[in-house]
Amino acid sequence: MMKNPYRSIEAEVMKVTTETPSIKTFLLKPKEELTFKPGQFMEFSVPGSGEAPFTPSSDSQIKDTMEITIVKVGKVTDAIHELKPGDTVGLRGPLGKGYPLTKFIGQDVLVIGGGVGLAPVRTLMYSLFHMRDNLSKLVYRGGCRNPKEFLFRKELEKWMKRDDVDMKLTVDEGDKSWKGPVGVVTTIMDDIDVNFDLAKAIVCGPPIMMKFATFKLQELGVKDSNIYLSMEKNMSCGFGKCGHCRIGPYYCCKDGPVFTYDMIREYPGIWE
Amino acid sequence: MTVFCSFKPLDKAVSRLYFFAMLFIKRGNFDQFLESLRGEYRVYVPRSMGGGIGYSLLGKSDTNYEIGEIRSFDPLKSFYFLGREKVAEDFKPDILRDDKPPCIVGAKACDLKGFKILDFVFIDDEFGDPTYMKAREKGLIISADCTGYGETCFCTAVDINPWPESDFDINLSPVDDGFVVNTGSDKGSDLVESNKNLFTEATKAQVGVIKQNRSTVKSDVMKSAKEKRIPVADRLKRVVKKHYETDIWKDVSEDCVECGACNTICPTCHCYLLYDQKSDGRLARYRIWDSCMIHDFARVAGGENPRDRLWMRFRNRFDKKFNYFPEVLKEIGCTGCGRCVAACPGKIDIREVLARLEV
Repeated sequence: MMKNPYRSIEAEVMKVTTETPSIKTFLLKPKEELTFKPGQFMEFSVPGSGEAPFTPSSDSQIKDTMEITIVKVGKVTDAIHELKPGDTVGLRGPLGKGYPLTKFIGQDVLVIGGGVGLAPVRTLMYSLFHMRDNLSKLVYRGGCRNPKEFLFRKELEKWMKRDDVDMKLTVDEGDKSWKGPVGVVTTIMDDIDVNFDLAKAIVCGPPIMMKFATFKLQELGVKDSNIYLSMEKNMSCGFGKCGHCRIGPYYCCKDGPVFTYDMIREYPGIWE
Repeated sequence: MTVFCSFKPLDKAVSRLYFFAMLFIKRGNFDQFLESLRGEYRVYVPRSMGGGIGYSLLGKSDTNYEIGEIRSFDPLKSFYFLGREKVAEDFKPDILRDDKPPCIVGAKACDLKGFKILDFVFIDDEFGDPTYMKAREKGLIISADCTGYGETCFCTAVDINPWPESDFDINLSPVDDGFVVNTGSDKGSDLVESNKNLFTEATKAQVGVIKQNRSTVKSDVMKSAKEKRIPVADRLKRVVKKHYETDIWKDVSEDCVECGACNTICPTCHCYLLYDQKSDGRLARYRIWDSCMIHDFARVAGGENPRDRLWMRFRNRFDKKFNYFPEVLKEIGCTGCGRCVAACPGKIDIREVLARLEV
């Protein structure tokens, strides 16, 4: 029988964690086998309310559940934020290509995350930790508007104690609880000590942050073909047919959502 | 990606044989032939309506159709890819639409080019659109030569001849009292073979008539395209690219009212929206035609919109047809059918836009 690509798989909400006033993480248990690679995304639906694309935030090696961290910004996410344990949702995917992890083997890897972009970056970091012995240096720079909105702060602080990752976090605006640097993420990139000529850099965050982080990486000497951007476009079908997310000759959903900067730099509107 | 469709190109020698032994079918016999197809297919026929040609379903003993001189006003995509179709329900894996495959009668060369683009988009192993693929695989295409040219026709400018050359099952070339017939697929040949008694061998005179007709129509369309100063096919891609960053787009989009008619009527526009119907806890997912001219087409939930301005969306439509498709498929994404010219309430003429780019 022909496969129906529009069909969602049923999943149960197991747990809802409030991360920040506008961000929640949903632990989901799909009723059928559903695995994904870091950087791939899922179309998440609330039956009767709508569907929208999100990248999981959990370790992709965990096979029977997945976590998705979602900021409340519109109609579908409003409905998602109402979800409670035991509720039924739909998952369609995995979609897109994800990060080419094998290309990172033997290389210095820089991960730059910002805001809600720290969610997919978390999945990537789990994978990078799993393959840590096969990487050269591992650097993480994370930024957020303020300490209250810092996703996974406790977990990140735990990672800061590891000696196999050079990790720094910053906030645009500090408060009493914040002991770290204050400023946008590009202000904590100057002390990165890697072989920029060959280093692989991954950037994931709000468009404005991705734009300036990309320019900063270029300034540091990272090649455009080694800057991996996790693009956000309007994606409806998720597999290159509905036409919404086109970037030049690519569809963000099918050919991305991870692109190297050299692939897309010439096309208009990439940062919007 | 495996592209499958019902059209297996005939072996060259076989195809030549068919050309030499072309068949003729009388209109009355063709009526019978179509009647016999009604069991297996939803047969759509062109009929004279509202000053043009439009498609509707062939009824029982229905002979009220007309193989038009030119393409219909409605695009044939609508029989393969409905404007609004439920594509998923709850969490069931079922393919919901399960009707008879379509048989399109009188499709023109530009329509067939439209299918070439849609096939590229919708047919694939992993994420192929099941209803489209089934309709294409099981459906039947009985195409026809153009016997005239419309005011908005410019197929020759995008390298299409006004008669079908491939991608059909059976082709009709209108002559007095009937049609000269040739077949373009095994399915078409089998059908002709199993209805042998309805066909006779075409005469030399009939074959002469269709050759003459083809050459007349072609030169008429070429003349009309030339008058409109449309850049030649191999320059179309270059001119759109060359003028990508110019102010021309602001100028030519000035009369656009963002109605999306050009998208709806276009045989290659394929964009759609997956829409989950608002209801109480049940999942009903619809695939609905969408339009890239509409403001929010590319807007993301966070509010960013890469094509916030009308001229950007207008340019994007040309970019898709004259850059994207040539780059990924080596085919221009425009069939020269001129339906968008006829449909535009702002009287925007794609030929004039292309001509402006050539300057």
